Amino acid sequence: MPVSGPERAPVRVVIVEDHALLREGLMALLTENGIDVVATAEDGPGLLRIVAGHKPDLAICDVRLPPTFTDEGIKAALEARRHLPSLALLVLSQYVEPAYSGELLASGESGVGYLLKERVSEVRTFVDAVRRVAAGGTALDREVVGSLMRERHSSEAAGSSPLDTLTVRERQTLELIAQGKTNAAVARELVVTLGAVEKHISNIFGKLDLPATDGDHRRVLAVLTYLRATGG
Amino acid sequence: MSEQRSTVSRTLTIGTVALAPPFLSLSLLLLVIWALTAHGGYFWPMWPYWALLLIVAVRGVYVWDHSRPEPSRRPFDALLGYGCVWSVALIAIWGMSGGSYFWPVWPMLGFLLVLGAPWIWGRSRTNRNLEVRVDELTRTRAGAVDVQASELRRIERDLHDGAQARLVALSMQLGRAEDRLAGKGADAGDLELVRQARMEATAAISELRDLARGISPPVLADRGLEAAVQSLADRTGSNVTVNAEIDHRPPPAVENAAYFVVAEALTNAAKHSTGAPVRVTIWHEHAELGIVVADNGLGGADPGGSGLTGLRQRVEALDGWLEVRSPAGEGTTVRAILPCQ
Repeated sequence: MPVSGPERAPVRVVIVEDHALLREGLMALLTENGIDVVATAEDGPGLLRIVAGHKPDLAICDVRLPPTFTDEGIKAALEARRHLPSLALLVLSQYVEPAYSGELLASGESGVGYLLKERVSEVRTFVDAVRRVAAGGTALDREVVGSLMRERHSSEAAGSSPLDTLTVRERQTLELIAQGKTNAAVARELVVTLGAVEKHISNIFGKLDLPATDGDHRRVLAVLTYLRATGG
Repeated sequence: MSEQRSTVSRTLTIGTVALAPPFLSLSLLLLVIWALTAHGGYFWPMWPYWALLLIVAVRGVYVWDHSRPEPSRRPFDALLGYGCVWSVALIAIWGMSGGSYFWPVWPMLGFLLVLGAPWIWGRSRTNRNLEVRVDELTRTRAGAVDVQASELRRIERDLHDGAQARLVALSMQLGRAEDRLAGKGADAGDLELVRQARMEATAAISELRDLARGISPPVLADRGLEAAVQSLADRTGSNVTVNAEIDHRPPPAVENAAYFVVAEALTNAAKHSTGAPVRVTIWHEHAELGIVVADNGLGGADPGGSGLTGLRQRVEALDGWLEVRSPAGEGTTVRAILPCQ
């Protein structure tokens, strides 16, 4: 799994955003950070044309696009992935809805991201997320993960949720894993050693009775599948 | 217009009062003549008295009729007034002439017939007018409510495309500035200043998002009531289960009202039920949307509180019905029915 390394091939990205200001800003931000923006589009059909022509690694999509300004972006992104299954998707939105994240995660094996738009202002974290998703990883906004954990928690009978058996540190680790963070990133964020993170993860998987998996993406999926499964 | 009317009524009243001195003098004169001539025999002045009283009564009805404000005046009232005066006058004649066979019954019956026919006709016409008016008001109110719902969605969209987008662009530029400064090894104070500016922009975005969500939640417009209520339940964070059966989407105004019923009921539950399980049930059948939000909490919610009163108004504007039961210690149940036209 590509976590870091100076000799990465440049990630080839297409941006779909109807707002010129945001489109240009996003393009500048990514270009500055060594990401190759091959094309931009303003709507769904534009994305499909670019995907057919450029075969990019990753599509960064706004949710609301013309003409209906509802969830056009998600529909276009999923459609694009049907034509190019290797295409990673990073959906940006001013609102995050757990329902949309489910549709994106269920859409295929390649990388998926779903973030609030303002996360682009945390440049380092955002660029990391872009690279991670392009490489087949996951980047879920902390709001989505938080609400999934609450949902899972409330659908269990009070007091008997396996989530209750986790320590505070293990819960924090679980949330970060669900967001798609690598062990190294979790260790950085929680200010603990890599060994401690690995210990937490093995505890979590044991307590929640999850199958041990190799690879970050499979691990995220296992955790999310657990969180999304309804208790009833 | 109303000044003119009061002038008329004042003139009429003064005219009536002016009758008093000549009438009183005439009555006294008649009494004196009777006292001097009849020596306690048949009291004949009762007949001229009757005539004088009749004039005063007719005049009185006329003044009463003209002194009322225009909208509440119906021709029928004056007719009724004159009819009463005539009936009393006839009964008086009957009494004064010995009171044997009660003949005034016939002219009075005739009068009732004459009066009854236009009354019945007038009533049916009023009812027809009312029906037309009710239809018209129902139609225009539904139109107003629909316009309001789509206006709210437009405002939300304008916020999204305007202020929110600009703030996102701003926070992105601040993020880039921060990143470049950090790359150049800038002064920690400078860096902190930019970082704080970026945090402020992010906080503004977040506040604006909550505001827009309160105006018209985007997921409601995009995905409908079921998804919006589920999202609401997730965000509420307490122990909420949602059970919704909605086969096709109700009109936007109904969706909005239903959403805010659930939102307010969940806020209330969070306040009063202290983490007890909350069940949200929504069904859609027979062109009606039904909502029940029930918790096993402490109960004791105030159905007259501002939140619930606002909800009731929202629901009643759609000809719906809302009930809040919250006996102390037995949990709270909010029920609403919304017709979908």
